[in-house]
Formats: sequence, C-alpha cells, structure tokens
Amino acid sequence: MAEKLLEIKNLKQYFNQGKPNEVRAVDDVSFDIYKGETLGLVGESGCGKSTTGRTIIRLYDATDGEVIYDGVNVHDKKSKKDLKTFNQKMQMIFQDPYASLNPRMKVLDIIAEGLDIHGLVKNPKERKERVVELLETVGLNREHADRYAHEFSGGQRQRLGIARALAVNPEFIIADEPISALDVSIQAQVVNLLKELQKEKGLTYLFIAHDLSMVKYISDRIGVMYFGKLVELAPAEDLYNNPLHPYTQSLLSAIPLPDPNYERTRVRKSYDPSVHNYQDGEEVTMREITPGHFVYCSEKEYVALKAVSSARV
Amino acid sequence: MSQDIQKIPADSFERVHIDSSQAERITKPSLSFWQDAWLRIRKNKAAIVSMFILLFIIIMSFVGPMISPHDAETQTLTHANLPPKVPGLEKLGIMDGYGTLAGKEVDLYELKKVDTYYWFGTDGLGRDMFSRVWKGTQVSLFIAFAAALIDMVIGVAYGGISGYYGGRVDDIMQRIVEILIGIPTLVIVILMILFMEPGVTAIIIAITITGWIGMSRVVRAQVLKYKNQEFVLASRTLGASNGRIISKHILPNILGIIIINTMFTIPGAIFFEAFLSFIGLGLQPPAASLGTLINDGNKVLQFQPHILLYPSLILSLLMIAFNLLGDGLRDALDPKMKD
Repeated sequence: MAEKLLEIKNLKQYFNQGKPNEVRAVDDVSFDIYKGETLGLVGESGCGKSTTGRTIIRLYDATDGEVIYDGVNVHDKKSKKDLKTFNQKMQMIFQDPYASLNPRMKVLDIIAEGLDIHGLVKNPKERKERVVELLETVGLNREHADRYAHEFSGGQRQRLGIARALAVNPEFIIADEPISALDVSIQAQVVNLLKELQKEKGLTYLFIAHDLSMVKYISDRIGVMYFGKLVELAPAEDLYNNPLHPYTQSLLSAIPLPDPNYERTRVRKSYDPSVHNYQDGEEVTMREITPGHFVYCSEKEYVALKAVSSARV
Repeated sequence: MSQDIQKIPADSFERVHIDSSQAERITKPSLSFWQDAWLRIRKNKAAIVSMFILLFIIIMSFVGPMISPHDAETQTLTHANLPPKVPGLEKLGIMDGYGTLAGKEVDLYELKKVDTYYWFGTDGLGRDMFSRVWKGTQVSLFIAFAAALIDMVIGVAYGGISGYYGGRVDDIMQRIVEILIGIPTLVIVILMILFMEPGVTAIIIAITITGWIGMSRVVRAQVLKYKNQEFVLASRTLGASNGRIISKHILPNILGIIIINTMFTIPGAIFFEAFLSFIGLGLQPPAASLGTLINDGNKVLQFQPHILLYPSLILSLLMIAFNLLGDGLRDALDPKMKD
C-alpha cells in the first residue's frame, strides 16, 4: 500500500484525569492513515470518535501517545512557525454547519481567514479572486462572497466550511461528522463533493460519522470505536462482509435495508461486552487476523477468530 | 377559449427561460447585523422617543446654563426663594411668579422688586435654578458615563480573561470577585469617601470599584459560550492566534450584550450618584448634581416645591428614557432573547 501519512500511536485523551469523574474519551488507540485514502471512523455517540479527531488536530492536548504526521510528532512542543505549517497541512470540517460559521462575518472573510493567517495572498484583489475560485470549487458562485452565513441553507453552509478548509491547500482533512446535520439528498451532494475534491487534489480524509452506509460509500478502510477503544479496523468491503468483533457485528446488524424480504428476517444482534470474559492479566490488543484486518482481542480470541476466518476462505 | 388563443399571432409570445445561473441571485441587499438592528429599533416607538428625550437632555445640559441670563453660582440674596416665572406662560396663570407668603397668594417678584425672570425660580441663596439644574444634569451625566465606561473596560477585560483562559486562572479570578461582591457596596463606598476628598473623582471611583462585577460576569458567561463554538475551533485549526480569535470572533459576537449592559449601567450610576449625594456622601456645595439639588429641595419641600420639582423631573426622565432605550436595544440586538 501507499506510504503512511499519519501514524497514531497509543493515543490517549482523558478528561478530569485523576479525579473521580475521570472520562477516558480516547483510550490507547493506534492506527495509520495512508496517503490518498479515506479512513472512516464509526461508533455510537459518545464513543470518542470526534475527540480522536480533535486530539489529532491539536484542539485538545493529548494525555499520552503520539501523532506522527509525515514523520514528525505533532504533539511535541514546537515553534510558532512549525505549528503554522502543520495547521496548513491538516484541516478540519465541522459537524454543525450552523455553528461552524461566524454569524458576524461575511463569507469572503470567513473563507479568507486561513489566507490571512498564513499570508497566502498579497492584496485584497488577489484575496477576493482566490475566495471566488474556492467558492466555485465547492459549487457556489461569486455573488455569495458578500453575504452573511445566515443567508445560506445547511448544505450551502457545509460547502462554505469545506471551502474554508481548502483555502490553505491542506493535504489531510478531518471530516468530523460533516453530513450528520444535513438531510439525505444534501448528504449525497456533500459526500460526492468531498470525493471529487479528493480525486482532484489528492486529499487524505479521516471521515468521522455514524451513518454506516455513508461511511461504506466513501471510505477505503473503516475503524470501529467502542467506549474510547478501537475494536476493529479493516478495509471497507472486508469489514462489511466479514465483521469479526462482536460489536461490529452488532452495529452492522442494525442497518436497515429498503428490502422487505431482508427486513423480515433481519435479527438485531445486541452487544454484551461480558461475552469476552477477559481474565486478569490477559493482554488485549489489536491483532491482525487476515492481512489488513485488525481486531481488538485477547490471545485466545485471536486463535478462535483466525480459525473462523480461515474456514470462511 | 381555445379558438381565441389560436387567433393570437405566435410572435406575440416570448419564451421565458429559467436561467440556472441566476437561481442563486438575491435581490434583497445583504444587511449587516447593525443595519438589521437599526431596522428593528426603528419600529420601537418608546425607544425612539426615549432617544430623543435623552438627546434633548444631553444637549440642554450643555446649552442650558448658557442660554440662561443668570449664572449658576452667583448668589443674589435679595432674589432668594423666588418661584418660577416664564415670559409668555405667566399670562396663562402658571409659572407667573406667584407664591404663598403667610398663607396668601402674592406676586413675590413684585414684592421683592425683581424685574428679571427666573424660569425655574431661585433657591434659598438666590441662585438661578435653571442654570443649576442643567449644570447638575451635566455633572450627573458625566459621572454616569465615566463610571459606565470604566465599568465596561474593566468588566470586559476581567470577564474576558477569566472566561477565555479558564481553568486555574478562572478559578482564582472568580474567587476574587466573590469576595468583592460579598462586601456590601455601601460600606466600601463610605470607606472610599472617607478616605478620599469628596468630589466627582471620588464618586466615580466609588461607583466603579464594585460596579464592573456585573459586566464581568455577563462577559465571562458569553465568552464561555462562544469559545467552544465550532467557528472558533475552526479558526484555531487554521492557526489563528488568541488575539485574532478574541478580536475577530468573540468580541463582535458579544458586542451587542456589552452595549445593552452598559445602557443599563448608566441609569444605575446616575441613580447611585443621586443617592450618594442625597445622603450627603456625594458632591459638596457649591458644586451641583441632580442628587445634591434634590437634597436641597427636599428640605424646603413644603414652602418651595419648585426646588425639588425640576431636578427630580429630569432625574425621572433620564431613568425612564435610559431604561426604555436599553430595553429597545436589547430587543434589537438580541432578537432571539437567548440570554
């Protein structure tokens, strides 16, 4: 496979550390993201998907662990200049298109903010031209530059968010549930726009969502999170056809299909963490069952899963 | 019907195209937040009337002492305790210089052989009330505006730092505020006045020493609300500095709330100054403020009601107008009434 763009090693993000109300939002998560791919991250609400994304981009300071971008640890102490280059390479698209645009600023200034911070344009004319170019890239037009954010629909606002992220020419974009606040027809538009942009500009995405069908559509590989831990990581097709971790199986069994015959027989599996019955001292980590397919399991489960998957092949 | 249509020549029709490139055009001009707010406040009659009353009082407080033929501080003992007399109105039977003397209605101007007009009458030392009232209004307004401005600057800075940096900084700053707010304001004020020479500066300091706390709390709450909004996070991921985030993203969004709060601080400060002067802790004679004038008038209410009437009228008008204008501003600047 292509070269690694981002390596996440044992990332931990605890809130209220050491206090009785400690929350382990991200608990020892490791995965790699390859150049040009889309890694989907799914899981139930509150399982730490967004926190993982925000910790990677340094919105939170990680409790422990490393995030290595292009061979450089981004959580090291850095000079302002290094930070700026990093900020330029990694960008984020936010969940709520209504909260992610400043209501007091015109679209021109919202999109040009990155250009101003990084000094990418020299004069107001060039600034305006670049913003118009970005607006056109995301399917909006010139006249929109002088409007305020409240004059746009949800889908248009999300496009503005994408344009703002694209303004600094990033390589890697974290899309934090970019479509969950939009209705279905608009979701498709935005996802297709993201796919097109990926092809055009060679972007790499970390796509955080809880809509499994949308994630399958856009992702090359998918990671499943459960209570702050990554429980399964596999190529998209593999994960859908051959889920190994019981939580993934449960999650997939919950997807409804517009097929009455299938729906009549669909059984919703529930996940009970006690099925693992881990013993004290047993080491539970990510293990590779088949090439590229990792599952969070113990040694005993590993042997069992290996047997199951080789039997299937 | 169909016959009629066929008779119409085809070239009188013109095909209308739907131009998709025009679909996104807007005909309505894009209004900024402030233009929008102005449209809303214009509809609020009470606020507009209040605004004109305030403008009138502010202008009069500067022009008033100048258009009066008498000086505010010149004492003419022979002209003491004259009731109001206004040319023109005197023929209508009001403000005609008549007052009660020993139970009888007499023209006091004639009695004392005064041939000028005192529009608001004179006080016990023969000073022209008209000039004194406007001079007093001027002083009261100055104290109120200065106090509100200082409150705003300290409150916004303190609340902003406390809310934005959060964590331990916030903890310490909020504990200090709680200690300050625990001491009764009047105690601090009396100590301040004893400590310093009574005067305008002392009163401004006395009002502001605890006055900024309200503003700081409002600003802190607003900053806490905005600093984790996604547009602020977006700006941070773009690499914006703290200064940029505060000035471009947070301040413009809380400016409306700050203005509303200041609008309510001003009448509070006017009233507090009047209260301090009334209980004798405020300005010392011969300096006049609305509070000292009311205090003087209060002593002779039964014999010379006009001395109390005018300053209290102005004070009431100021209070009502500021509050109504503040209300209107709140509706205009914060239409969702979320806060």
